[in-house]
Amino acid sequence: MNPNEPAQSNNSSVKPDIIFDACTIQFNEQFKLNRVSWRIASDDCWVIVGGNGAGKSALAATFLGEGEHLSGSIHNAPPIESVQAVSFEVQSKLIDQERLEDDSRILDVIDEGSTAAEILQRGDCDTTLLPALVERFGLQALLDRSFSKLSTGETRKLLLVRALASHPELLILDEPFDGLDVDTTAALATELAQRATSQAMLLVLNRWDEIPEFVTHIAYMSEGELQHTVATNNTKQVAELKKLLHLKTTDLAIPGPLVDVNHSHSKKLNPDDPLVQLKQAHIRYGEKTIFEHVDWRIDPGEHWQLYGPNGSGKTCLLNLITGDHPQCYNNDILVFGYQRGQGESIWDIKQHIGYVSTALQWEYRVSISLLNVIVSGFYDSIGIYQKPSSSEKAVARQWLAVLGMESRANEPFNKLSFGDQRMLLIARAMVKHPALLILDEPCLGLDDMNRSQVLAMIEMVCAGTETTVLYVNHHAQDKIAGIHRSLDLGNLQR
Amino acid sequence: MTNYFNTLSLREQLAQLGKCEFMDATEFEDGVDYLRGKKLVVIGCGAQGLNQGLNLRDSGLDVSYTLRASAIEEQRQSWKNATENGFTVGTYEALIPTADVVLNLTPDKQHTAVVNEVVPLMKQNSCLAYSHGFNIVEEGMKVREDITVIMVAPKCPGTEVREEYKRGFGVPTLIAVHEDNDPRGEGLAIAKAYAAGTGGHKAGVLMSSFIAEVKSDLMGEQTILCGMLQTGSLLCFDKMVEKGLSAGYAAKLIQYGWETVTEALKHGGVTNMMDRLSNPAKIKAFELADEMKDIMRPLYQKHMDDIMSGAFSEGMMADWAKDDEKLLGWRQETAETGFETTDVTDQDIPEQEYFDHGTLMVAMVKAGVELAYETMTAAGIKDESAYYESLHETPLIANTIARKKLFDMNSTISDTAEYGCYLYNNACLPLLADFMKDIDVDVIGRGLGLNDLGVDNQRLIEVNAVVRSHSVEQIGATLRGYMSAMKRIV
Repeated sequence: MNPNEPAQSNNSSVKPDIIFDACTIQFNEQFKLNRVSWRIASDDCWVIVGGNGAGKSALAATFLGEGEHLSGSIHNAPPIESVQAVSFEVQSKLIDQERLEDDSRILDVIDEGSTAAEILQRGDCDTTLLPALVERFGLQALLDRSFSKLSTGETRKLLLVRALASHPELLILDEPFDGLDVDTTAALATELAQRATSQAMLLVLNRWDEIPEFVTHIAYMSEGELQHTVATNNTKQVAELKKLLHLKTTDLAIPGPLVDVNHSHSKKLNPDDPLVQLKQAHIRYGEKTIFEHVDWRIDPGEHWQLYGPNGSGKTCLLNLITGDHPQCYNNDILVFGYQRGQGESIWDIKQHIGYVSTALQWEYRVSISLLNVIVSGFYDSIGIYQKPSSSEKAVARQWLAVLGMESRANEPFNKLSFGDQRMLLIARAMVKHPALLILDEPCLGLDDMNRSQVLAMIEMVCAGTETTVLYVNHHAQDKIAGIHRSLDLGNLQR
Repeated sequence: MTNYFNTLSLREQLAQLGKCEFMDATEFEDGVDYLRGKKLVVIGCGAQGLNQGLNLRDSGLDVSYTLRASAIEEQRQSWKNATENGFTVGTYEALIPTADVVLNLTPDKQHTAVVNEVVPLMKQNSCLAYSHGFNIVEEGMKVREDITVIMVAPKCPGTEVREEYKRGFGVPTLIAVHEDNDPRGEGLAIAKAYAAGTGGHKAGVLMSSFIAEVKSDLMGEQTILCGMLQTGSLLCFDKMVEKGLSAGYAAKLIQYGWETVTEALKHGGVTNMMDRLSNPAKIKAFELADEMKDIMRPLYQKHMDDIMSGAFSEGMMADWAKDDEKLLGWRQETAETGFETTDVTDQDIPEQEYFDHGTLMVAMVKAGVELAYETMTAAGIKDESAYYESLHETPLIANTIARKKLFDMNSTISDTAEYGCYLYNNACLPLLADFMKDIDVDVIGRGLGLNDLGVDNQRLIEVNAVVRSHSVEQIGATLRGYMSAMKRIV
């Protein structure tokens, strides 16, 4: 191939789609890509996004032949030798290689190793383009320097220039902006934009705002799975994905509990006592028994999953705990140190519980701002009926920041999308750091993207607080890390 | 028994009618404490009975239900309501003697029989509570002297009482102590704790008297609330059909129209409801309302006079004695009207269209609210009471029409409301007949259809000023202010 010709770029439209068909690829003992199915048309320009360790770089590296294919197949991928990649891994490999070839420690001579120019020449570069790129990225002064003496940013620039000048069939840029100064970042962005139509590219990016405008598709990775693919012209889905990525990638902690004397009326719980203890619990309507003989003890720190078929009484059982089921008064129920029916009020019970369900979302039909929805969690009310303190509002604002909605504090709740409402209700449930968080099918009615957001949020809660989680879900795939105990109402072995 | 109100001197009557005071939130700081550990026994397990009981129990009070032995044996609906909600249920003989407070939440019609039966069973120095004072005021029930008699009347249907409580709020509530039966002076303390137990204290409590409650409640429910909405529904429906509009559309415009236009009333009074109309439509509605007010004023005055003199309750009780002969006949007639029997269209009606095509309905609400309020206050009832019994409750009643038309409204409000509503309707339909002859689809059904929405500035200023300066708007703004100070959701 004559490197002077702008290779392949003009007939690219006739190239077949690259297809990943349920590919499972092992990278190391801890990590594999799991059943990735993906289709890349020749005109597409993809960016892969996701949290740390999600498998973004691994997915890109499959084009370099990395990983062991366990199952599935890849069709029409470009030959490995015609793929160029710029990544942290490629960079460190090159640096290691140079170090290996450094003979000075053995031979007692001064070995400067390869110069930057030599490294460039090793690439299969377009000789007319190369000098222009060297100038554009300000590498002229470095050409004679020893590669091993270059800074990280300088090596990165060198690799970028080499890759760009070699007209690869596929150019993989894994975090290309990492470690670049402001000017170089701008130069690279311009360069990439100019080549977007002639050069097939695959980007891997951590930061949403780095995604160039010419990108046509976004792939979202999570835990080795390609969870979502979104075309950038679908603005609604892109917005959802952005929020999801925010949760996964922004280094935000769960806001702490309110340390406020006004709230110290809440009863202190004894850590040795069960949070909930039901003895021979039952629900009956006339002749019909929904369930009976349910013994259940929930200790602090024991997360539970509750499942059972439709109609087995899952929500009824939860409502015995929350006090929302009227038959809680003729059952033997001890919750948060209260034996039910001894003069406690339901507000005494509810102050220890955070609760999220589809039913709650339906009931939450009041005109109220986003901020106040979260504040209402301090009072366990639907709407706000007393003046919130400034510290309550401050904590609620921190929660909005976790959701990436801090600029929307005063927007009306009922104008939010269904998925955003759900996220807000989870924040409302958690705002007071309840002893028990009850999630009754928290993903019900949500699309995949919102489902991922909700699960990401719940995992943050499980990992970052002392709240005990009680989780109800039909979907086996909506598992939450850290929940090990389960109660099956459809199969009571008692 | 004789009408209690009529046994009082004019001075006492006026004092009782004028009793109405908005209570400060600090009066409820002790919550339900006064009733803690006491035994509350509810008679009747309908909408008010069940829902008030659920709230009181959730507030930490000891609540059980007592029903007639036959209702328990036959496992009637009231028995199911109570048992499925986990309450202890027992006969009068079993539970009444244990009660510290007996809550009589049966329909007015049954009060005399029930009270006569339970009072002999009640222990010394206990308390009898009502949610409506008809039995005491109109029927002149005399309760044993050692018993405290109070009233706690949530100003909403029972289901609303429960829903608002579950949200963490409550509904506006009126409380009263029957001065002839407050032997230990604890009536107010019990009533306050009871109101707190239902959540009413969060939404605002009005300290009133049995008399003010009964006279204003009767007046409101039979005129603007049920009566005007029924008459308006029938007249508007027939007019639209007569003018060739589809019956399904007409039925829908009315069934959901009352709810939609009075939602505007709930948030911002007559002013806001009128402001939802275009300027020309507003001026038109204003003029129609004025015309109707002049026509209907004598009718409102007659209702008020009959309520004050006791003639109304006398007539109704005579019908009770005849097993509701008249009431059942009128109920049947209502069920057979065109509006009730027509299915509504599936066609979507946008919110604003209910205003634009329902100018006459807006005018009817305005006329009815203002007339009822003016007539009540002219009779010595305080502005606050008159507001609650007219404007405040209109949206709540309109909601019942949106659910199941007039049938639902008449069957859920109360027996006294239903009887009064038919009385009003029977008189008001012929009264408005001539007025309706000149009505066309521009004000009901089709809209003004103007290309030019221009109006004369002076006329608009004049209309706005009159609407806004009405006394019901002044007191309404104040009372809604109290509400929203507590209820920051609106």
